[in-house]
Order: sequence, then C-alpha cells, then structure tokens
Amino acid sequence: MSTVTIDHISKSFGESLVLKEINETFQDGEFVTLLGPSGCGKSTILRIIAGFEKPTSGNLYIDDQLVTGGKTFVPPEKRGIGMVFQSYAVWPHMNVFDNVAYPLTIKKVSKSEIKKSVEQVLEITHLTQYADRFPSQLSGGQQQRIALARAMVAAPKLLLLDEPLSNLDAKLRESMRFEIKEIQKKTGISVVYVTHDQSEAMTMSDRIFLIHRGVVQQSGTPVEIYDTPKNQFVADFLGKVDFFKGEAGNGRIVFPAMDGQSVAYDGPLTGKVDVGIRPENICFSPDGELQGVLETQYYLGDVDDCRVRAGDTLIRVIANGYEYHSLKEGQQIRMAVRSFMVFEDDGSLDQMLKIRT
Amino acid sequence: MDKEKHGQTNQQKDPTALITKIGLAAVFLLGVLLIFLGIRAQRDFASSGFSTENAYQVIYTLSRDVENAWQKSVKPGLNDLSDSEKASLDEIVVGLLKDAAESQSKGAGAEAEADARSADESENYKLLYTTYLVNGPKVPASGRKVITAMSEQEASDFRSKLLHCVLDEALPLPDEAEKLAGSLTGSERQAMLMQIFFVSGGSADAKITENVNNLKKTVRSKESQLTAFRMIAQGNVSWLWQLIISSSRTVILLGIILMFDTVLLALLMSAEKLWVLDIKWILILLIVDFLLYFQLLPLLFILFRAVFPDGTFTMEVLRRLFTYPLNQVALRNTFIAATATMILGTAIAFPLAWLVGRTNLYGKKFFRFLFVVTYMVPPYVGAMAWLRLMNPNVGSINLWLRTLFHLSDAPGPLNVYTIPGMIWVLTTFYYPYAFITISRAMEKMDPSLEEASRISGASPLKTVFTVTLPMMTPSLISGALLVFVSAMSCYGIPSIIGKPGNVNTVTTRIVEYVALGQQGLNDATALSVVLMLVALIILFISDFVLARRQYITVSGKSVSPAIVHLRSWRIPLTVIVSLFAVIMVLIPFITILNTSFKVDVGKNVWAPGNFTLANWTTVFSRAETMGCLKNSLIYASIAATVGLVIACVMSYLLQRTQLKGRKIPSFLITLGSGTPSVVIALGLIMTMRGNFGLNIYGTAYIMIIAYMIKYLMMGMRTVVSAMSQIHVSMEESSQISGASWLTTMRRITGPLILPSIAAGWFLIFIPCFYELSMTTLLYSSTTKTIGFQLYEYWTFTSQPMSCAMAFGILIFVLLLNLLLNRLTKGEFSI
Repeated sequence: MSTVTIDHISKSFGESLVLKEINETFQDGEFVTLLGPSGCGKSTILRIIAGFEKPTSGNLYIDDQLVTGGKTFVPPEKRGIGMVFQSYAVWPHMNVFDNVAYPLTIKKVSKSEIKKSVEQVLEITHLTQYADRFPSQLSGGQQQRIALARAMVAAPKLLLLDEPLSNLDAKLRESMRFEIKEIQKKTGISVVYVTHDQSEAMTMSDRIFLIHRGVVQQSGTPVEIYDTPKNQFVADFLGKVDFFKGEAGNGRIVFPAMDGQSVAYDGPLTGKVDVGIRPENICFSPDGELQGVLETQYYLGDVDDCRVRAGDTLIRVIANGYEYHSLKEGQQIRMAVRSFMVFEDDGSLDQMLKIRT
Repeated sequence: MDKEKHGQTNQQKDPTALITKIGLAAVFLLGVLLIFLGIRAQRDFASSGFSTENAYQVIYTLSRDVENAWQKSVKPGLNDLSDSEKASLDEIVVGLLKDAAESQSKGAGAEAEADARSADESENYKLLYTTYLVNGPKVPASGRKVITAMSEQEASDFRSKLLHCVLDEALPLPDEAEKLAGSLTGSERQAMLMQIFFVSGGSADAKITENVNNLKKTVRSKESQLTAFRMIAQGNVSWLWQLIISSSRTVILLGIILMFDTVLLALLMSAEKLWVLDIKWILILLIVDFLLYFQLLPLLFILFRAVFPDGTFTMEVLRRLFTYPLNQVALRNTFIAATATMILGTAIAFPLAWLVGRTNLYGKKFFRFLFVVTYMVPPYVGAMAWLRLMNPNVGSINLWLRTLFHLSDAPGPLNVYTIPGMIWVLTTFYYPYAFITISRAMEKMDPSLEEASRISGASPLKTVFTVTLPMMTPSLISGALLVFVSAMSCYGIPSIIGKPGNVNTVTTRIVEYVALGQQGLNDATALSVVLMLVALIILFISDFVLARRQYITVSGKSVSPAIVHLRSWRIPLTVIVSLFAVIMVLIPFITILNTSFKVDVGKNVWAPGNFTLANWTTVFSRAETMGCLKNSLIYASIAATVGLVIACVMSYLLQRTQLKGRKIPSFLITLGSGTPSVVIALGLIMTMRGNFGLNIYGTAYIMIIAYMIKYLMMGMRTVVSAMSQIHVSMEESSQISGASWLTTMRRITGPLILPSIAAGWFLIFIPCFYELSMTTLLYSSTTKTIGFQLYEYWTFTSQPMSCAMAFGILIFVLLLNLLLNRLTKGEFSI
C-alpha cells in the first residue's frame, strides 16, 4: 500500500508555531494513530498529508514521491487519498449511492464498474439497503459509514480519518472502532487516524504517535507507549497515574513524604526522581513493601477504588472489587507495588508533566 | 421555568380558576352587550333617516349627477376655448398653485390666515380640476412654461364664471340632497361639494390628492358632528345613547374584539389547562388583536373588494386586469422589470458573494461593508442619482460617452427613462438582497463538504459545480426570489424613473388609481391582489419550502470556510470588484452630492456661477422641511419603540414559553413584512376610514401602523435570534440563585440582549425614517414625512435641492448604520 514520510515539517499560523520539526515515517499497511489533547497539532498533520494545509517548511513524501515541499505541491485531488471528516461531510443533495460513487464518477469510471464497486463497499459498511436514501434520513452512525464508504470506494492507498467517531454516542463509538479496524485488516490499507480518545487509539492502532504542543512526545505500539512512557506527560495522558517524589540510591527509592518508606529499585537513576505508579499496579498484600491507613474506599462493583494514607501522602489503589467486603476504613494495611515508572526529577516547571519541546 | 411556575399555581387552582372563568364569561357578555347596543344604535340611526351610510349614498349619487351635469353643461363650454386660452388657463392654475405653495412655506403661523387660504385654495383646485378635464389627466409640462396671455382681469372673470356654473347654476340638486344641503352652512356646503367633486376627480397630482384627502377628512368629521347635533336637537335621546349612536361602529368593533379575545383566551387557557390570567395572555392578545385588525382585515378586505366591488359578486374587476390596456401594460412592465432585475441581480451577487466570502481578494471586509450598505440607502436616492447620470439629454454618462465616441448632440446613447433603464437602477439597489442571503449561506457552509470533494479527486472548479453550487441552490433561489419581490413591490424607483418616461408599473398605477374614484379604486384593488398574491406565494416558497431544503447545517463549532487562493487572478479580480463598487456605489453618491451644489443641473458644477450652497441652506432652513423631518423622526421612533416592545414580547413567547398560540402572531408578522408596502397602505386606506369602527385616515396613526406592519419583522428577527443564543440555563441559574423573574430579566437577559434590542430598534427606525411608498398613499398635509417631501421637491420644485436633502438623509442613515455596527460589534450592520 502506501508509506508516508514527514520530513522536518513545521507549521505556523501567524505567530503561533503549531508543528515543530516533525520527522516521522508511517509504514506501508500500518494503522497509525495521531493522539493528543485538542490543539496539539494532530489535525494539522493530517490536513498537511491531505494537502489542505501547506507546511511552513519541510517536505512530505507519499510512497517516496514528493507531494509537498519546495516548489512542489500536489493538490488534494491528485493525491489518491481517502479521507473521513469529523463532520462526515456527506453531501446532503446526493443520495447515499451518489455520495459514495462520487470519487469514481470523477475518475470517469464506467457505470457498471461504479455500480459494482459501490455495491461492494456498501456491503462492507452495511449500507446496502440505504443506497437510495438521502443523508438527512439517516442516523449519525449511518452517515459516518457513508463517509467511510466514500473514502474507500476508489481503493485509495492511504486513508485519513479525522476524529471520525467523536460525534457518535458511546455504544456506537465502541462498535465502530472494531468495524473500522476489521475493514483495515481486510483491505490492508494504510490508515492515519486522528483522535483525542486514548482508548480508541489503544484499540485500533499498530502505532500511536502521542503529540503535544506540536511535538511527537513518543511513538510506539500501544503496549510500549502505555508500559514504558518516555516522560511524565505520556504516562499521564494514557491511563491513570500518580506521581510521588523520591530519592533513589542503594537499590531503593525512598519517599520522604511517606514517612521515609521505600521500594526496591534496580534502575540506573540516582538522586531526586519522580515515581509514577498506576493505581491498578498496586495491590493489597500482607507482605507488601509499603504500608498506610485505609482512608476511603469507593465500591464501583468491578473494582474497589481506595485511598491509603502514608505519612503526608495519599496513595490511590484500584483493588479488586471483591476486596471491598473484607476491608474497613481506618485499618492499617500493607501494599505491594507490581510495577512503577521512574523519571528524573529535574525540578523544572514541567517537572510533573515533563514535555518534550 | 414556566412549568415550575404553573406547578406552583396549580395548587391554588380551584378558586383562581373559578374567578378567571367567571371574569372571562363576564367580559364575553359585555362584548355581546356592546354588539347588541351597537346594532340597536345603527337601527335607530337608520330609521332617523340620517345615517352616515345614507349621507354617503346621497353624496355618491350626487357625485354622479354632478359629473353628468358637468359633462353636459360645463365641459362643452370649455371645449370651445381656443388652444391659447387653454394654455393660459393652465398657466393661471400653475400660478395659483405657486402662490399657494409660497404662502404655505411662509409658515403656518396664524390660523385665521390658514383658513382664508384654504378657502382660496379650494377655488384654485377647482380650477385645476377644470383644466384637467379640458386637457386630460395630465397637465402638460408645457403648461408650466407657457407665458400667460390672459390679463389679470380676464383671468379672474374666467375664474368666477367657472365657479359660478359649478356651484350654482349647473347643479340641479335632487330633493334629498337639497334638504341635506339646506342644513349645512355655506362653508360646509362648499366643502361637501368639493368632496363630491373630487370623489369622481380625475387626477393623481400629489397636491390635489393632498387637498382632497384633507377635504374628505373635514367633511367626514363635520358629518358625525352634524349627526350628533341633529339627534340631540330632536331631544328624545340621552347623551349616552347619543354617544353610542354617533359611534355605533366603534361600539360594535369593541364588542367583537372583547368576544373574540375572551373566546381565544378560553381556548388557550383550556389548552394549557391553566385558568390564571397572566400578563402574558394580555400581551399576546393585544398583539394578536393589533395584527388581525390592522393587518389581516385590510388584506382580506382587498381580496373581498376585488370580487365584491359594490356588494355583489362580479369578476369584472379582475377581468379588467387583462382587458384594460393600462393594467395590462403595468403588469407586463412589472413582470419584465422584476424578472430581469432578479436575473441580473443574482448574476452579480453570486460571484461577488463568492469572491468576498471565499477567496483571498484584497479588501474583502471593506467591499462587504460597501455592498451591504446599499441595502440601507433609500431606493429613490439611487433612482435620482442614476437619473442625473443617464438622463438622455444631459446625463453625465451620456455627455461623457458622446465626447468619447464623438457622437452628435442628439439625446442618448443611454436613456434612463425606459424599461432597461429602470431595470438597471432596480438592479443596483436590489442585488445586495441576494448578496446578503447568498454570502450568509456561503459562510455557514461546512468547508469539509468541499474538502471531501477535493480528496475524492475533484478539481476546485469541478467542486464548485458539483458541490458548492448545488448546496447553495436553495439560498440562491431564495435570494433571487427576494430580489424579485422587492423589485416588484418597489415604488420609489419606478415613481422617479418610470413615470416621467411613461413606464408605469403596478405600484405606480396603484398609487395613481387610488385618487381616481370608484373605478380607480377597483383597478387599484385588482392590481394589489395580484401584487399581494405573488408576494405571498413567493414568501411561502422561500420561508416554508426552501427553508426546509436548506442544506446549511449549523454545527456547534465555529466554521471558518476554506479560502480559495486566487493567485495571479487576485489583482485583476480586485480591480474588477473595485470598479464595480465605484460604479454601483461611489458614482451615484457623488452624483447626488455634486448635483446638490448646482444652480443649473445641466451644467458642470464648476462652470462659472454654477456652484452654490443655496440649495442646502434653503432646504434645511425651511420650516416645512424641518416639520417633515420632525414628523419622520417622531413616527419612526414611535414605530420602532412600539415595534420593539412587540418584538421583545414575541421573542420571549417564542423562545421561552410553550404557549400553543405563540406562532400565530409571529406568522402574521412574517406575513406583514412580506406584503408589498403599497398593498398595506391601500388596505389601510380602504378599512380605516370609519367603515370598520375606527377612523384614522389622514392621521399620523395610520402611517405609524403601516410602518410597523411592514418593518416589525426586521426588529423581531434580531431579538429572537439574540434570545435563542442565550441558553435557558442562564436564566434558570439566576432563578436558582434566588432572583425573581423580573430581576432575572433586568440583570441577566436584558443586558445580554441589549445590543440586539438596540440593533432591532434601528433596523425598524431606519426604513421608517425614509419611507416613501406607504407615505405617498397615507400622508395628509400635516403628516408629511421627509421621504415624501424629498419626492415632492424632486418632482415639483428643484432637483438640486432634493439632492441636498437626499444627501442629508444618506449621511444620517449611514451614521446610524455605523452606530449600529458599533453597538453590536459588527453583527448587525444591516
């Protein structure tokens, strides 16, 4: 299928620099997700790939062919890309069939060919029975699928999706995730997917690019990026995490704020550190290294969300829901930490959420 | 919020509901009683042999007799006059008119003097009427220029001879009329006769119409007085009964209103299941009553009169639309002009809207302001400017073209006094309507709809044709229809450009016909029916059919349309648009200013001795101008203020309550704004002269009401949209903080919508301030407005002076527009 090479691309709107020297390659057949909070620049990257924005500097290659850069600019319609917009952008004056057939009619494909391709793609997107309807007669989820069908009908090498699920309700959003992933697997198309929803990214992606303030903070598989975040921001953006200040040395990390309790550590860092612990990675255990007083617990059915006081610090523990019945608020309790992340504490302003800039 | 309120009151429902029901029943019965009394009174009145109805009939028969007598005895005599004698008669009349105008402008100081003058004037008008009969409905322009050949003595002899035969000998009165006439004093008799005369009168001359209107008013008020005195003199009725008799129709009207309101109220209350008299109800009823009586009744009456011209059913009136040549021509001209204006205007507006809204043209904001501002300029000002520019003899453009192409001094090549000329001027004034509609839709269109087409492989041009244009179609059509309706209903432009060139349209004909007695009124009615029906059908299409097909999806997020880069076309296109702006906006405005400093309009302003400030000083120092200006300011302020109160109530009802009937008044208001001005005015003339219980004909009220009906919508739309943008939760959170409804309105809602309220006020005020079409039909000598004064100056007095006045109005309107812009931070500059 298609590779995308982003070569030192920067983009600024007036004074504000929204992308800083992005330099990445998306592999052939890969499902890539650009993840980040709103305003991080992820949509801008997508629109640069599509050709709706021009970068201030840098080059963009699709399949090793220069499409944006220097004096070269291939307009969107010449790039052979499929794209799904956040608002779906389904044309209200055409019925479903015509909407989907549009990219083929532009290419002047024969009528019978068009009919065949459109029917095929409508089949994949479960829209066959709606072919004659107009978009206003269809639900949001169905309109979304029209947009998807239209983006895929011409069998593009590359599919761009700009927060395609953000306007759907929660249940539908979840089922569409799997549908999109299924379709991608079946067709083997390269996908660039933009979202701010981490679970969407985790479900579908081969690789996630976590972007913040116009910089790729980290890229990697969902497992890599969740388990070994490169900095505090990444750790914080994906999943829940609490940070504790500690002192590393002699094979242990001491937490002064927890009355000097400590955990074993065999990593390379020494001196002041930030320790990030995901609440689901602590469990109550009689031979745990840490101890404290169980202050509150919230029973959520599947889990028991607890706060344990150790010295001046509150530690959040997400325990098994079953444990709720055997625990009492105010009791002394011991905790074992299954895994944690250690970052250098450089004392800068962004020390808690260290960001690559 | 209302539900909670309802919940509270429901607890104490029983006693209140009972009281309310009893109260409603009592008011209903009072209404029945009033109707009963009114009908009794009318019967008594009729049996007394002196009802107003009878008086009118007598006068009507009389008028025909007089007409006959006149045709038989006086006219032949006049026909014997030689051409030169006729010409001199013209001259005398013109001279008399001038005298009258001058004595008028000297200031209406002493009442006695005014009285004396009016007696004198009536003679003048009789004379003028005479010349009209001699020369046909038009006093030839030559009549104003020819020098009198008749001596002072001859003239006065001739005049007294005419008067003599009109007033005494030529009038063998029928018995009833003799009796009636006998009971009148000399001046009353004269007034009555004058009325008789002009009921069948034959001229649309503004001066005459004005005087006729005055006379009619005087005679009518005299009649009711006379009736009352007569009844009292008979001595067998109390003063109260007397009062009821003399205003029986008003009493019946009041009764009907009371009955109608209580029934409506009962229906609404039972629908809401809440029997509490709320201030809301009173307000909604007042608005509904107002609209039904002043808007719906006149319109329905016009329809009724078209098929029942004198009480019996006939299609004759409507048939005359196709058989009477004048009607045919007017309809054809209007249709041709409106259609051409629509096509031309839309063809101009679409590319402009696209260039200004969706490309990187230089100076987009400035151009937008410039094109939108035309919307605020009175159309007749533009007409005056183009008339000066394209006058076949001395128009600046013609002079320039002749020099450029070395043409002869023959008139032309361009002639504004033609249908194409009129179409051009209409286009320059109405393309902004399409421009505004189209560019609004363009800005609201989700840009990803076009991007989706690009990414599907379509080029930018292909995208315009397959996506942008089809998506714009509903707005394009509704913009075009708006231009059609506006051009069709326009009076200002055809009255200034069409009439001198003998290009009559439906609106100019209606205004002309109104003064032409029974047949004229019939023709005016028929033309109005056509105008009204076409306008309302178009209103229906664009408001209810097209609006549903609007593809514009207003999403929550702000949409910034994708800008098309024009590249090498950027400069040439900017130049073209600038040229267009210069031709459409700058040149006309400069022409007006330029003309206002001229002594002789035909010469260059810098020609020796041709530059003068006198036009400005004369116009703006005249008491009459100042009076008209004062009238305009007062009427427009009242219309805007009352209109805005209605608008606020309506937007509260529409946006914040679930009342069942709340859409009715808003529908009526939409209907009113869609009805052509001339039709509104004609409807009011036909129904507000006492025949439906209220006689406000010739007063300021009728004008203010007409303005409100036409322009209320402008204010309402503004306030409604402002209110819809304030989420109810803002009011609810104020209530939950402990504020009462009133405090919430004062502290939260009020301040939030205040800019829009101010904007709404100006949006009603501005068009009312310079209004012409309705004023032409509704004014009387004491209620002239600045727009009408300008028109009179243009037609009868001096073009440079009226240009000075026009430029003054223009500056005033532009300043108001800037103020409006400031107030609303640019959101409502139109």
